[in-house]
Amino acid sequence: MDGDRILIKAERLNVGYKDKTVVSDISFEVCRGEILTLIGPNGEGKSTLLKSLAGYIEKLGGNVFLLGKDMESISPADKARHLSVMLTGRTDPELMTVRDVVSVGRYPYTGRLGLLSKQDNEKVEEAMRLTETDELADRLFNEISDGQRQRVLLSRALCQEPQVLMLDEPTSFLDIRHKLKLIAILKRWIKRDGLAVVMSLHELELALRVSDKLLCIKGGKIDRYGTPQEVLSTDYITELFEIDEEECMEAIGVPVQNIL
Amino acid sequence: MEDRAFERTRSGRVRRYITGYIILILILGLLIVLNINTGSVKLSVGEVAAILTGGMKDATAYNIIWDIRLPRLITAMLLGGILSVAGFILQTFFSNPIAGPFVLGISSGAKLIVALTLIYFLGRGINMSSVMMIVSAFIGALMSMGFILIVSARVKRMSILIICGVMVGYICSAITDFVVTFADDSNIVNLHNWSMGSFSGAAWGNVGIIAAVSLLTMVLAFMLSKPMGAYQLGEDYAKSLGVNIKVFRVELILLSSLMAALVTAFAGPISFVGIAVPHLIKSLFKTAKPIVIIPAGFLGGAVFCLFCDMIARTLFAPTELAISTVTSILGAPVVIYLMLTRSMER
Repeated sequence: MDGDRILIKAERLNVGYKDKTVVSDISFEVCRGEILTLIGPNGEGKSTLLKSLAGYIEKLGGNVFLLGKDMESISPADKARHLSVMLTGRTDPELMTVRDVVSVGRYPYTGRLGLLSKQDNEKVEEAMRLTETDELADRLFNEISDGQRQRVLLSRALCQEPQVLMLDEPTSFLDIRHKLKLIAILKRWIKRDGLAVVMSLHELELALRVSDKLLCIKGGKIDRYGTPQEVLSTDYITELFEIDEEECMEAIGVPVQNIL
Repeated sequence: MEDRAFERTRSGRVRRYITGYIILILILGLLIVLNINTGSVKLSVGEVAAILTGGMKDATAYNIIWDIRLPRLITAMLLGGILSVAGFILQTFFSNPIAGPFVLGISSGAKLIVALTLIYFLGRGINMSSVMMIVSAFIGALMSMGFILIVSARVKRMSILIICGVMVGYICSAITDFVVTFADDSNIVNLHNWSMGSFSGAAWGNVGIIAAVSLLTMVLAFMLSKPMGAYQLGEDYAKSLGVNIKVFRVELILLSSLMAALVTAFAGPISFVGIAVPHLIKSLFKTAKPIVIIPAGFLGGAVFCLFCDMIARTLFAPTELAISTVTSILGAPVVIYLMLTRSMER
C-alpha cells in the first residue's frame, strides 16, 4: 500500500562515523516520480547522509525503508536492482571505454560471468542516447571531460534500472547549459519510469526549480523539510547559509518568490 | 543506424580479441618447438618428433627431452601464466598498474618461509613434499601480503605502498641469503639456485601438482572476473552493484597469494613478469576487462617465461642465467615506462 507509492523512507535516522554523529533524527519520504533535494552549507553532512542511505557507511540509528521493506533485510543483490547511486568522487578506470563504464550498470542483471545479453546491450545504448553520450561510446572514459564523465556516470546509474536513484552533487562539474540539460534528462526519465530521486545540490536556484521536496540540513539536524514553497523564503535562505539579503539575491539571481 | 554502428564496434572489438588470442597461441606454439629443440645438445625437428612419438628410446636425447626439457617447458609455461594473472589480480585490487607479487614483496616472503622450512626439514633428514613447499610458500606470501595491507590502510599514496613492498622484498631476501649462506647441508647447495629464481629444478614429480593448482586458481580467477570488472570502477560502485566487498577482497588476497606461492615454491622469485605481462596484454587487447585479460594474461605469461627461460639456458650455455636476470632486463623497462606515464600520487 504505502510501499507502492513511497519508494524510499527514512525514520528517525542518525548518520555519521563510528563515534561521531553528523546528522541526527532524519525523517522523510519520497514517492514515485518525486525529487528530494538535500540543501545546506558544505560540511553539514549532505554527503554523509547520502552515503548512509546508499549503505556505504553504517547508519548509527533509525530505519530506512526501500519500497516498504527495511533496508537491512534486503540482500545486496536485490538492493542493486532497486537502488542506484552516482557519486562525485573521481574514478579513473584503466582502459575502459564510455560504453564499458555504462555497461557496469547492468551488473545486477547479468549471469555468473557478467556477459551482456542483447537486451542488456539495448539498455546500455538507450541510456547513452538519453544522456547524449552515445557519440562518446567508444572513447576512453579517462580521456573525456569532467562534464562528459558526469553524464556518462548518470547513464551508468540509469541503465541499472533503479526505482530509487541517489545523486551526490550530479551537476558540480557542468556548465549551465549542461546543468539544465542533465536536469531535463533526469526529469524525463523520472516521468517515464516513475523513479524517486534523492540528491544533493549546492546550486540553490536549481534546487528550488527542480525539487518536489527540500530537506535543509543545518547544525546536525533537519532544519526544515517540505515543498520549496513551504520551506523557503528569502529570510530562510539568508538564515540557512548565514548570508545577507543582498548576497542571497546575488547567488540566486532573482528574488526567491519569483522562482517558486 | 545507431545499432549498426554499435554492432560494428562490438564485432571490431571481438575481432581484436580473437586476433590477440591467435597471435599468443601461435607464438606459444613456436616457442614450445624452439624450447624442445635448443639446448646444449642440438636436436633436429625430426629427431624431436621421433622421440615424442616414442622412438629412439635408447638415445641420450630421449632422456634429455623427456626428463629435462619437457617438464621444464611445462613448468615454465604454467608458472609464467599464473604469475602474470597474479599480477593482474593485485593491480585490480590496489587499483595500481605497478602492483605485482614481486614488487610488493609477496614472492620474497614466500621464498623466505620456504627456505626456512626447507633448511629445518633437510637438517633433520626429512624431504619436503611438494604440498609442504606450497603450504610454506603460501604462509610466507600471506605474511608479506598482511604487512602490505596494513601499510595500504595507513597510507593512500600508491608510490609509498610500492616502496614498502620493495623494502619488504629486500628484507626477506637478505634473511634468506643469510640462512642459505650459513646452512651447511649439501642439499642446500641447490637452494642457492632456487633462491635466485630458476626453472632448472623442474621435474615430472612436481608437474602434476603444479598443473592441478594452476588449473584450480585459474578457474577461480576466471569466476571472479565479473566482480573484478565492477571493482575497476571503484570500490563504492562495486558495493552499490551488490558486490560483497569484504568477501571479494579476501578472495582476491587469498587467490593472488596462492598463485605467487605456487610460483615461488617451484621456481623461486621471478621478477617483473606480474607487471610487464598484464600491461603488454592490456595494450595488445586495448581493454582491461578481466574476462578477456585473465585467460590472455595466462597465455602471455606462458609466452614471456618460455622465451626468458630459453634465453636463460641457451645464451651463455652451459652456464645458466637466473630467470630473473632475463625477466628483469625485459620487464623492468616496462615498469619504468608505466611509472613515467601514470600519475602515482593517488
